[in-house]
Amino acid sequence: MDPLSLAPLPLLAAAVFAATRPGRRPVAVPAVAELATLAALALAAAGVVWLFVAGSTVIAVGSGPWMLALRLDAVSATMGLLVAFVGWIVERYSRRYLDGETREGRFHALMLATLAAVLVLVQSGSLLVLAAAFVAVGLGLRQLLLFYPDRPEARRAAAKFSLVWSAGDAAVILAGVLLWLAFGSADLAAISEAAPASLPLAAKVAVALLVLAAALKTAAFPLHGWLTEVMEAPTPVSALLHAGIVNAGGFLLIRLADLVQASPGAMAALVMIGGFTALFGALVMLTQAAVKTALAWSTVAQMGFMLLQCGLGLWALALLHIVAHSLYKAHAFLASGGAVQAVAATRRPGPVAAPGIGAVARAFLIAVALYAVVAAGFSALAGEKSPQALALGLILVFGVAYLVAQGLADAAPSALTQRTAAASAGAAVAYFAFHQAAFALWGGGLPQAPLAGALEWALIVLALCSFGLVAVAQALFPHWAHHPAAAGLRVHLANGLYLNALLDRAIGGLRLARPN
Amino acid sequence: MLMQQIDTAPARIAGILKSAEAAVRAIPPAFPLSATVAVNPFLGQTGEDLATAAARLARVAGVAILRPRVDLAAEVAAGRITDDDLSEALLACRSALKPADLAMLKARLAATPPAPAALPTVAELAARATGTDWPALIARCIGLWAAGRFDRGQALWTPAPGQGAFAAWREWATHDLTPEIAGLAGFCAHVAAAPDTAERAILRAAGRLGIDEAAAPTAFHRLLTDLGGWAQHARWLLWEAELKGGTDATPADTLAIRLVWEEALLAHAPAVAEDWAQTVAAHAAPVVPTPDHVIDAILQEAAERAHQRRLAAALTGPRAQAGRPALQAAFCIDVRSEVFRRALEALDPGIATIGFAGFFGLPLAHRAHGTDEVAAHLPVLLKPALTSTSQAAPEVEQAIRIAARTARAWSRFRQAAVSSFAFVEAAGPFYGAKLVRDALGLTKDPASAPAPRIEGGLSAEAKAATGAAVLKAMSLTQGHARLVLLLGHGGNVTNNPHESAYHCGACGGKTGEVSARLLASLLNDHETRAGLPGHGIDLAADTLFLAGLHDTTTDEILLYEDAPVPTHAADIAAAKDWLTRAGKAARAERAVRLPGATPATVAARARDWAEVRPEWGLAGCAAFIAAPRAVTAAADLQGRAFLHSYDWQTDHGFGTLELILTAPVVVASWISLQYYGSSVAPAAFGGGNKLIHNVTGGIGVVQGNGGALRPGLPWQTVHDGKRLIHEPLRLSILIEASQAAMSEILARHPGVRDLFDNGWLHLFALEGGRIAARYRPGLTWEGAEAHSRAA
Repeated sequence: MDPLSLAPLPLLAAAVFAATRPGRRPVAVPAVAELATLAALALAAAGVVWLFVAGSTVIAVGSGPWMLALRLDAVSATMGLLVAFVGWIVERYSRRYLDGETREGRFHALMLATLAAVLVLVQSGSLLVLAAAFVAVGLGLRQLLLFYPDRPEARRAAAKFSLVWSAGDAAVILAGVLLWLAFGSADLAAISEAAPASLPLAAKVAVALLVLAAALKTAAFPLHGWLTEVMEAPTPVSALLHAGIVNAGGFLLIRLADLVQASPGAMAALVMIGGFTALFGALVMLTQAAVKTALAWSTVAQMGFMLLQCGLGLWALALLHIVAHSLYKAHAFLASGGAVQAVAATRRPGPVAAPGIGAVARAFLIAVALYAVVAAGFSALAGEKSPQALALGLILVFGVAYLVAQGLADAAPSALTQRTAAASAGAAVAYFAFHQAAFALWGGGLPQAPLAGALEWALIVLALCSFGLVAVAQALFPHWAHHPAAAGLRVHLANGLYLNALLDRAIGGLRLARPN
Repeated sequence: MLMQQIDTAPARIAGILKSAEAAVRAIPPAFPLSATVAVNPFLGQTGEDLATAAARLARVAGVAILRPRVDLAAEVAAGRITDDDLSEALLACRSALKPADLAMLKARLAATPPAPAALPTVAELAARATGTDWPALIARCIGLWAAGRFDRGQALWTPAPGQGAFAAWREWATHDLTPEIAGLAGFCAHVAAAPDTAERAILRAAGRLGIDEAAAPTAFHRLLTDLGGWAQHARWLLWEAELKGGTDATPADTLAIRLVWEEALLAHAPAVAEDWAQTVAAHAAPVVPTPDHVIDAILQEAAERAHQRRLAAALTGPRAQAGRPALQAAFCIDVRSEVFRRALEALDPGIATIGFAGFFGLPLAHRAHGTDEVAAHLPVLLKPALTSTSQAAPEVEQAIRIAARTARAWSRFRQAAVSSFAFVEAAGPFYGAKLVRDALGLTKDPASAPAPRIEGGLSAEAKAATGAAVLKAMSLTQGHARLVLLLGHGGNVTNNPHESAYHCGACGGKTGEVSARLLASLLNDHETRAGLPGHGIDLAADTLFLAGLHDTTTDEILLYEDAPVPTHAADIAAAKDWLTRAGKAARAERAVRLPGATPATVAARARDWAEVRPEWGLAGCAAFIAAPRAVTAAADLQGRAFLHSYDWQTDHGFGTLELILTAPVVVASWISLQYYGSSVAPAAFGGGNKLIHNVTGGIGVVQGNGGALRPGLPWQTVHDGKRLIHEPLRLSILIEASQAAMSEILARHPGVRDLFDNGWLHLFALEGGRIAARYRPGLTWEGAEAHSRAA
């Protein structure tokens, strides 16, 4: 038994204990809950050690389609450690935050059970475990979203979540059946290894279903509406959801990366869905004045970007993105009470210096030059990079250009220019270093980016152009954002292009419970 | 030309617009959370009594502002409220609808009055008729627009500046497809065709909805209430503008916006026309309390009389004081000071404490370290008259600003499209360390700012005059100790949107640090000291003033030793020792009431980012006592009383008394009524549930996804999960001064008099430290036989 496989057990035990004391200020429950998460964290950390010492481990019982397997490898060890860490933080937070709630004990029980399900999910080694864990996570989360069942908004959000999540579950289950039929194995590792260069039809459909499931579970366009409404649950639930659960779709793809990569169509679909969702979410986020809502849109965008990385075959980077985003977003949600002070702090130093067109052009040149230097440096150290990796780096550098541009604004004093330049260089070095680390840690167990053919190149160019365009528009934002012609655009974006309103209409979200 | 299309007489136009204005003034202003202060939620209703206000708010907001009868019946059953309290309250009630005698009143204790229901809006009628939740849609649509409109820097893409609220909303709503998707066909066109000014829109809508002058006041009030905190925030914009001598149309604009929706829904659901006509007729009926309102108001009064009876019993007469005190410490009148003052005085008979509003009488507009923004550090009823600054040398200031601007550029890098992806991959992993740091509360307190000073300085004459005025107002004109501490206060909380609500209300929702430090340096200034005798103040040459800040969450006191004073080193060391010991005692006392706290863990709550009840703030506040400290020194007032030091014998001409009645008393009434409103009617006047708060625009919170802004105190601030921690009582004001002088002052200030005449505050005259008379409406006084009997 590897330690990670034991990690869900203390959580489940504590969940059962908490369930026996569901009410207000349940004696010992909050302390036991935090201890259980600490135990799970310790086991997950031990799992990492185990991996280095003993290598990948599979625990399996049963056989055929009913095979139950847990797998410890670089991917599951990373995800397990991440989820256990976030779980500890979130449970420790809930200990005080939920104090005095009428259903305090029940909250801890649900939180621990959901966390246990996520820990099982990330180490699932067989189709059945994978599907069952997905279903269990959905059930737990639904109950957490209904923690205030009297709020119609909460019921609406839970209904949307259940609809989308169950549709994703159905896609996973159907894909599982097809994979069993195609490969005669329920072992995820075996399926990945067996994936031939040209997939049989059943496998092709299965991969399409997997992509669909990933898109639904990561709140990709156009069914992202469920994610932007789940602030109806207490803050720690949002933190867990955004840091530990919404990325399960990405984990699904990474777990079956060899299989997914065998379908160029699926990869192209991921690039397009992910890329569009990333830009869409990021633009909507710009218009949101409520901090948690803005964070939710940011998650939509970040998950889209992660799908884009999957679609480009940069699996290790997608995993890095999951880890980095989870840590950031967990903190952002839990600390969102500081938004009043944060806004006051941005007002304190006076007006923002807006860069002109010239400054923006210089900023992009500087950023690209910076990129060339840093990328050349890392390439010299660590060898050639794939076109996909280079393109991704360029997209990220477009972002850094925005930081550079702020320091180049005519009204910016030179001291500010120096500081932002240093920050830009720091950011560039940091993420290339993290990229390098990601390839070193996880690259071995994951497929290399596919050789770029015509399709791949077309997608790369499309992604570069669209991200580049948005980046330039963003840098020049002060020059057009308040133009009357942009007023309508702002309204439509602030409403998320009405997809949520359409979903509400489709599912009768605004129908009264009992119309007269 | 103006009203071409509207077929109404000029008198009617004036009447409708006047009603709109009145409706705007019927709702309280909501201050932004960046510097929030308590506001009386019944500010627009102080011209009527509690029972009538209850009837009004039942009609327009559907809330009960009187406590559930079962709660008060339980207090009667438990003997906390006696038959005497009930009889006295019954006798004092002037309503014709009151029960004939005590037996009839008690017979009604077991009854359950009907739950209040607001008169419906067209949206609610249309929802019932069509099965679509229009009120929810309106809340969502207006909420999204308003969040952007009032945003102070959360979103990067804000609406174009420079437009009035109504014009901006029209532009928004003609583009917003949400209502049409939800089934309200033609809404964009309806908005596009709406009149182009708020006034015309209000008049047209009143015409189409059949709202006449008689129905308009509560019909409009109903719609503004429906907008919740958004209308109240708009009302605050008007409040701010008026304080500066201007005006602001935003509140009327929000009313116009809501009326445009009503018009559209009436056209969408014409079947509700008849129900709506009945509703309008109901709005036209005068607002009168029901017998149940009157009974509940009597029970509320009885609960307050029960508290007053216990308070009277606690005031056993002044404690003798003799000789020069070893230490004097001035605290804010805030009820949280009472616990600390009692603990401090218990340590040594030579310690004397003083209570005064925490801005110490300095009407400051302050420019903080590292910013050019000016913030008011005084009660919101007053206008700043002095400008102070804490800014350091120009190169230091410049460096701070560069650092702040770099941080801001980084935060925009985090938020902007495309760059947010780079941010996550470059910085995301570092947040693992931040999570550990914040989860374990390893954050450090920020360094304190440089000492503040008056911009441009003051002339020697002005220094002496200001210093003398403050000392007189504090009744601190003679017998000074060698060391006098001037202690402001502030809360110390982490990750709490309502942080400023824990700060000093008398300092405009800031801490009292700046005011205390400025006053100390002013009173130590040799030019001030030289001029004080000329103002009749006899200040010992060896008296040193030292400023400090009382951290109300941790009960620690930080002293600002801005300049070394070797002559007083021993005094300061002794004072520090006392303060440390008093803090320990105060924490032990407070720990009993704080859920999950022990005396040792009280202070750690300040650092806990998950703590929703770091301290109880002013919960429990019930009394305001203006008298020499000797009067209250022997009593344990349980942190429930504002204590203002006041000695009528030195107040020639009763100028200080007038100041107390018109400023601190009014501020205290706002605080007490805010706690009252947030406890009794949380749906309308409470800040909602902290667990699902979503900070919006840097100004306030919404619950969950969005909808209405929620001003007022969050539920966790007044409730410990099991029971209300704040006992909702209207404040009892006890002042040791002559009844005639108080009557005279109230006669001059009708707004303040309303508070007493309509029962929003109780007033008592103290004599020799005991209650001597109770104020009755109409500037009359009633002797205290009843009280001495009860006590």
